[in-house]
Amino acid sequence: MKTIEKFTFENNVAIEVRKMNLFYGDFQALKNIDMIVPEKQITAMIGPSGCGKSTLLKSLNRMNDLVEGCRVEGGIQIGGVNIYERTMNLAMLRKNVGMVFQRPNPFAMSVYDNVAYGPRTFGIRRKGELDAIVERSLKGAAMWDELKDRLNKSALGLSGGQQQRLCIARALAVEPQILLMDEPTSALDPISTGKIEELCMELKKKFTIVMVTHNMQQAARISDKTAFFLLGEMVEMGNTEQIFSVPADKRTEDYITGRFG
Amino acid sequence: MKKTILQRENNRETGAAAVAPAFGRSGTSGKELSAKIIFLICALFSIVAVLMIVFYLLFVSIPAFREIGVFNFLFKKLWNSDRWADGGNPAEYFGILPEIVSSLVITLGAVLLGGLLGVCSAIFMVYYCPKKVKGLYTQLINLLAGIPSIVFGFVGLEVLVRGFRELFDTPSGMGPLPAVIVLALMIMPTIASLSRNSLESVPKEYYEGSLAMGNTKAQAIFNVCVPAAKKGIVAALILGVGRAVGETMAVQMVVGNATNYFPTGPFQGVETLTTIIVNNMAYSYGLWREALLAVGFVLLCFVLIINVCLGLVQRERKTERGSLFHRKLQEQAERYAREHEFRAGGKVQEALRWVCISLAWFVIALLAGMVIFITVRGLPNLTFHFVFGEATNTLGTLRSAFISTILIILMTLLIALPLGIGAAIFLNEYSKKGSWYIKLIRLFVDTLSGIPSIVFGLFGMVFFTEILGRRCLLAGSFTMVLIILPTIIRSTEESLREVPDSMREASLALGASKVRTIFRIILPTALSGIVTSVILSVGRIIGESAALIYTAGASMLEPGGYLSPGVTFAVMMYVMSSSGVVDGYGQTSLEKTYATAFVLLVIVALLNVLVTVLEKKIKRKMLGDGGAEKRKKFRLRPSVAAEAGTEEAADGATKGGVSGSGIFADGKKGRQIV
Repeated sequence: MKTIEKFTFENNVAIEVRKMNLFYGDFQALKNIDMIVPEKQITAMIGPSGCGKSTLLKSLNRMNDLVEGCRVEGGIQIGGVNIYERTMNLAMLRKNVGMVFQRPNPFAMSVYDNVAYGPRTFGIRRKGELDAIVERSLKGAAMWDELKDRLNKSALGLSGGQQQRLCIARALAVEPQILLMDEPTSALDPISTGKIEELCMELKKKFTIVMVTHNMQQAARISDKTAFFLLGEMVEMGNTEQIFSVPADKRTEDYITGRFG
Repeated sequence: MKKTILQRENNRETGAAAVAPAFGRSGTSGKELSAKIIFLICALFSIVAVLMIVFYLLFVSIPAFREIGVFNFLFKKLWNSDRWADGGNPAEYFGILPEIVSSLVITLGAVLLGGLLGVCSAIFMVYYCPKKVKGLYTQLINLLAGIPSIVFGFVGLEVLVRGFRELFDTPSGMGPLPAVIVLALMIMPTIASLSRNSLESVPKEYYEGSLAMGNTKAQAIFNVCVPAAKKGIVAALILGVGRAVGETMAVQMVVGNATNYFPTGPFQGVETLTTIIVNNMAYSYGLWREALLAVGFVLLCFVLIINVCLGLVQRERKTERGSLFHRKLQEQAERYAREHEFRAGGKVQEALRWVCISLAWFVIALLAGMVIFITVRGLPNLTFHFVFGEATNTLGTLRSAFISTILIILMTLLIALPLGIGAAIFLNEYSKKGSWYIKLIRLFVDTLSGIPSIVFGLFGMVFFTEILGRRCLLAGSFTMVLIILPTIIRSTEESLREVPDSMREASLALGASKVRTIFRIILPTALSGIVTSVILSVGRIIGESAALIYTAGASMLEPGGYLSPGVTFAVMMYVMSSSGVVDGYGQTSLEKTYATAFVLLVIVALLNVLVTVLEKKIKRKMLGDGGAEKRKKFRLRPSVAAEAGTEEAADGATKGGVSGSGIFADGKKGRQIV
């Protein structure tokens, strides 16, 4: 049997969603989604509340499995592998497709242990190795200088913005290929938001980022591709400049110009 | 969920990149599945335990029911084992009607008095207590709750009974009245804390709405808030009934123990369902013994009925909440209008207010009196010999009791802790909220917690001691496991509920398995609840007497191991309180009893302090430096539901407080992952 440790992306395509329908019980939350997420870019998903963008995001690492009655039709392929196949190994999927949540959710542990939690999950026990990973991840999240002297302090004592960046560092520690971000700045102040946006720009050099945001400016500022969702459908997707300047669909235009949503 | 996760961690050498197993491998992870099964078994244990107790006790009392006849047993007025021993017809000589009546009368009295004290204290705590003393007052009520029944009984015997003898010129001073008073004090803390939870969950709008209509504070409280909490208070009272009817040792010491008498006066000595067992068990044999087991079964039936009532009340409570607010406000408005007309408003409520405040402080004064009394009489009797000396068969020392107590505590926790935590994990992490099997398991856990300790004692006697062949510390420990299990399950479950779902999500999203998430993230975060449950359990074991006498024995010698008998502090106190032996140093067993009571009191107080300190410390550690404020915003903590019956309140609070990003937003309906 072929052992895959990482997804291999061909033609710069990281994620390919094909004719995907998602149901919560009888309610259809996503309708016939077709979408291609390019590698090493930031793809923003925008749309009014309840349009299904967060649902789609959570389908990408199957966190939706946690929701009772959730059923997916059609397929999501990451690096050519159908992640909804029965034989899919969720642990490895989630290792490679990391996630950052709306609200910072550090564990009630030290900063160090938070970051080391993921690597430890995958069997890394040696102190030296863990130290290196923690340092690399915190540097990756641009907070090594801030935190290197308080690695053993509780992560819950950090500020909200620091906590969120720590959560990013925690996600980086397992060396993901894709980072899913579910409105990562919605619970943060403007300065912290700025820091996280900067960080995203930096991270996209190495990672593929898919981000849900309610903040139109944020999408326009940092994303390369933007997808607009409405009522469970993907209305359109394209280069960010194009979506924000000459949207193809009337509904997109209405939304980004603030006429509804 | 499709059980497709393949959790393999075999290639550990070269770091994260190399540990990845095949994407394409399928199959259920054995580790995950077996963990789930183990947790399920832990959860099912409570059901098995309750069914075992009910049916085994029924099984061993069937001969008695058959030979005496159920009707004769329940409704004849004569209990005379001597006549039966002389060859009399058992159908004539084993009737327990007086015991049933006495039990009911005393219970009723205790619940009325205890309810009054408890509810008044609760009202005081919620509405009138100055903020500064609120914590202290709660602590004192907790302390009262922790005092072992044997100490209550002994103080009742030494103070109340003596006092009544002098005061009312009765020959013994024993009877239903002292029993009612002692019981009322014992059940009062339970009623107080449950009523308090219920009062605190009354929406603030009720109070404000009432004030806005021109009511005084007292009117708002007694006309609107207290009636709104009525159902919860009723539930608390029913729980109090359960405790009162099953209480054994304290009652036995003050009730007079006159067989075949009905409670015709406050000082007419009587026997209750629980005390007849204690008074006879040591000498009984054959059908006599079986008849006593049958008494135990009848008692168990009483308690089960009470549990059913409790369930009904709580179900009603759920359905009735909606329209209450409007109705109350309307009533208020009408009353307000009426009162303005007659200018007589608020006098009654003002009086009630002062009743509440004074009764609340009266309880504390009683507690203080008790503590001072025991200290004054007990402390001087803590002689070197009594503390460290060699125990004899008739005179125990604290050293031997200490060893027995520790042995029982260790064994009990060793068994009950994994079982209880496992069950709590299953209930909270592996099951859909509100599913039928969860309700079933909860029902049995609640039932188990309502069973009186004397019934546990009887069950342990006919089951564990039979299996082990003797009364010994091991049999006592097994029995105690059944007693403390509900406490551990409930307390752990509560703290599991407090762990925000975002923690679970975060861990799972990092690729961690469910088992790892539970053991690395959830349990450590819930540690404070588990520690609390351990301390509460230790308190319960130390204070327990009725369940241990018939299982661990009453030998005061130093135990030689788990298969030899031994007495804990409480049992030793019970045995010595009724013997009149003087030791070689001139110390009477009564003096030793006082000293033991003092030691018990100190231990209970220390445990109480320990709970508070540890909880604070763990919380501070978990919240980080100065993180407390920040965290409060994200988390709505469920009210601490100390006992059964407040579960719903806690549930409700958790539902509102989930801080995750929506996956679990409607409570824990979310499917439990793989």
